[in-house]
Amino acid sequence: MTFSIIARCPRTGRLGLGIATFSIASGGRCEGILAGVGICKTQAFINRGNDLLALELLQQGHSPTHVMQMLEANDPEHAYRQIAILDREGNAAAHTGSGTRPWSGHKIGEGFVAFGNVLAGPQVVEAIASGFLEKPEDPLEYRLLGALEGARNSGGQVGGSGHLTERSAAIRVDADPDYPDIDVRVDLHDDAIVQLRRILDEFKLYEDFYRSRGRDPSTAITQGEFVAQLQAKRSTLSSRAQARDL
Amino acid sequence: MTYTILGRCPRTGRMGIGIATFSITVGRYCRGVKAMTGVTISQAFANERNNKLALRLLGQGFAAQSVLDQLLKNDRYFEYRQIGVIDRDGTAVAYSGPRTRGYSGHVVGDNHVAFGNGLVGSKVAEAIAAGFLAKPDADLEERLLMGIEAGRDAGGQGTIDDHKPERSAALLVYSQHPYPDIDLRVDLHPTAVEELRRVYSEYKPYEAYYRERERNPRGALPQEQFMAALTSRAAQ
Repeated sequence: MTFSIIARCPRTGRLGLGIATFSIASGGRCEGILAGVGICKTQAFINRGNDLLALELLQQGHSPTHVMQMLEANDPEHAYRQIAILDREGNAAAHTGSGTRPWSGHKIGEGFVAFGNVLAGPQVVEAIASGFLEKPEDPLEYRLLGALEGARNSGGQVGGSGHLTERSAAIRVDADPDYPDIDVRVDLHDDAIVQLRRILDEFKLYEDFYRSRGRDPSTAITQGEFVAQLQAKRSTLSSRAQARDL
Repeated sequence: MTYTILGRCPRTGRMGIGIATFSITVGRYCRGVKAMTGVTISQAFANERNNKLALRLLGQGFAAQSVLDQLLKNDRYFEYRQIGVIDRDGTAVAYSGPRTRGYSGHVVGDNHVAFGNGLVGSKVAEAIAAGFLAKPDADLEERLLMGIEAGRDAGGQGTIDDHKPERSAALLVYSQHPYPDIDLRVDLHPTAVEELRRVYSEYKPYEAYYRERERNPRGALPQEQFMAALTSRAAQ
């Protein structure tokens, strides 16, 4: 029970992954992304070794289709895995094993794979794709979030005893092999995708501040000062909004 | 402003990080552990390249002190950094640059570095170390969490007059695999250390279940049934 998207931004080449699921701390099982190389995400019954092995194989130059064949040959329980692979050019391969729990499936599009299992139906995977494609000019992290929100709004996960909430969610976008560009997570919450949007929106306000104070600390203001500036901006915006409403 | 414990379990060789800070999404800066290799964090004004560089140097065989020396020589702004490194032998070193803000310091011992900046005083770093050392037989993740809880209880970040809350926190442990054993985060919360303890307490009962269904998917219990079993066990 999980719905996910892996994608490449065609404008920037940035690679990203969005995931939401009933399981706890799903963001802690998403190490299969490396800037300039590709992405692999194994879910349903995870094989934890798969994702990093796939990155090694992509780095050696194998295509996603060939990497998938090698993962299959390496794993006696391949039928229980759901796997999506994307290389740095946006070429994709996907596998939804017959042993994964229904409804499970995937959709490969240009530069992305939408996939999930224990879903309400095929409309959820379609909604991941259309949520991702809706605003192609947005930064990749918001396109991934749009995909997760689309999936949730179309029914999300349904198990044997009915609808399952999203208890954890994560978005990761990489542009450099040494550190993530965007890495936001919700590990345990009743409404993890709503929380994830709250955290991403908040992080975007801090993003440049955090990056620039690390790169040139000699000119950095304190975080206390930065937070005060943010609050001043927010109160100006809200008083303007109030003035408009009057 | 941040406080952190880096630790290595001398019994198992597992290595990990516990961290809490006023900044949001701190887990993003914690890609500083590699199984059988070492653990490192650069904080204060973090140089985002340091963690990976340090792990590569540790992987090449450099000892902790040599890795730290190279990081400092490689960075024109080294005086703004606070860095801890533990190598696979458990040798631990740390540096708290003179230009890091507020009370900034570290306590170093075998298999651990307790350190932070923007703290209410030296007692915070001392409390983190004492929290980590309090139960040497516990699992490393528990010891790391006890370290940051002790840091919080000793006053944490800010000054006596102006306490800064912990808004994000993370707990990370690696054993022999290239992927983490434990990887838990709180990215934005008014009391992130308490929330991390809650997530950890909820996650722990699932840990073995998640691992087992990955290794043996045939006949694995659906998660809903596993939870029902957990609930009925708790009721008994």
